[in-house]
Amino acid sequence: MSSDVILWIVVGTALAFDFTNGFHDTANVVATSISTGAANPQVAIGIASLLNFAGAFISISVAATVANDVVSADVITPTIVFAGLIGAIAWNLITWSFGLPSSSSHALIGGVVGSAIAAAGFDAVIAEGLVGKVLIPAVIAPFLAFGVAGLSIGLIYRVVGRQRPGTVTRGFRYGQIASGGLLALAHGTNDAQKTMGVITLALIANGTLAAGADPPLWVIASSAAAIAAGTYSGGWKIIKTTGTRIIKMDAAQGFSSQGAGAAVILASTHFGFPLSTTHVINGGVMGAGAAKRFSAVRWGVAGNIVFAWLLTLPAAAAIGALAYGLTRVFGTGALGPVVVTLAGLTLIVAVFARRAERGAPVAASSG
Amino acid sequence: MTATIVEGRELLETVVASLVAGVGVTFIFSIAIWGFARFADLNRNERPLAAGAALAAAGLALACTAAAIVVGIIVMTKK
Repeated sequence: MSSDVILWIVVGTALAFDFTNGFHDTANVVATSISTGAANPQVAIGIASLLNFAGAFISISVAATVANDVVSADVITPTIVFAGLIGAIAWNLITWSFGLPSSSSHALIGGVVGSAIAAAGFDAVIAEGLVGKVLIPAVIAPFLAFGVAGLSIGLIYRVVGRQRPGTVTRGFRYGQIASGGLLALAHGTNDAQKTMGVITLALIANGTLAAGADPPLWVIASSAAAIAAGTYSGGWKIIKTTGTRIIKMDAAQGFSSQGAGAAVILASTHFGFPLSTTHVINGGVMGAGAAKRFSAVRWGVAGNIVFAWLLTLPAAAAIGALAYGLTRVFGTGALGPVVVTLAGLTLIVAVFARRAERGAPVAASSG
Repeated sequence: MTATIVEGRELLETVVASLVAGVGVTFIFSIAIWGFARFADLNRNERPLAAGAALAAAGLALACTAAAIVVGIIVMTKK
């Protein structure tokens, strides 16, 4: 009974995390289409939301990695997964309030790893999976997107450089409807699967599923719905600040950056690599910008991304470990997760209320 | 041990697939845009045969772009 209560708290927390992931990432997915005039904000966000939902159903490789290849299911309990989620959400809120471009994906994996280490020691971590399937792909993917976008835009300018700009721009704006859609699909498939993986891990830890099991349909459907709802509702808030965040680019650059981001995320998802989709999208945008004019790229943003990448995993892991310790203060039953959840909700409401009082816009973080 | 940790083969396949899909599809689509732009120019200059060829090239490139995207999504769903 107690473990079932904890399990449902974990499921609720994971879906809330998924919602905030979509909420934060809306601007990243649709900003390029909006900035080049390929789509109006309402249409872009609506399509992104629908394709986020659809994307969650096309693969379960990343969910399998998160559920089976990062921490050992033998020693994991639903409370450990819960503490990991708290670590991820807390780190997201901290970085969000300071305007740091942190990665929700890295925070999630860091949080779970930290709470697992706090509960069961370093043996709880599957080093091969963490390094080979999370850390190394996380480093390579943004550079790969940078290179693919740079090569693509170079080819585009060679092919259409002497044609009438009006026809070319109009053509690439139409193309951006497809490339933006693919990017939303890719975002949905990689990011929603992380939540699926965490819920599946909790179900395995609770004994509801056998070790190595795939996510059940209700887990896939609820994760898809949560990220799609987050994307749709997030857009209306974040769109106010989108205009100041995006890099000014032409339609061809927008098309190549979105195409590069979608290609890298979809290829990585196929092999089960859980990426920071925002880092990949930013890598594509910078590649398309740098190929045209090196100084057009906001290299400070690139520095922030590297800084956030270095900091997110250990910081979320530390908070996850602390959350596990705090939960255990109240024993091994459901009381700990209930108290920590109530405290967390109170803190979140307080943060939002304070921001609302100040009239500050809702800043975009990353995922 | 290092090979196991680094997942070298899968990473290499990811890099190759990303390059082929990202650069390839963009290149083919830019051929389509080139074809449409040339069609508009040649049509304006009253060269219907050349304009028709450019339009055919554009249509073929557009079809190849759509096919590549569909194949990519089908591959994604197979694993």
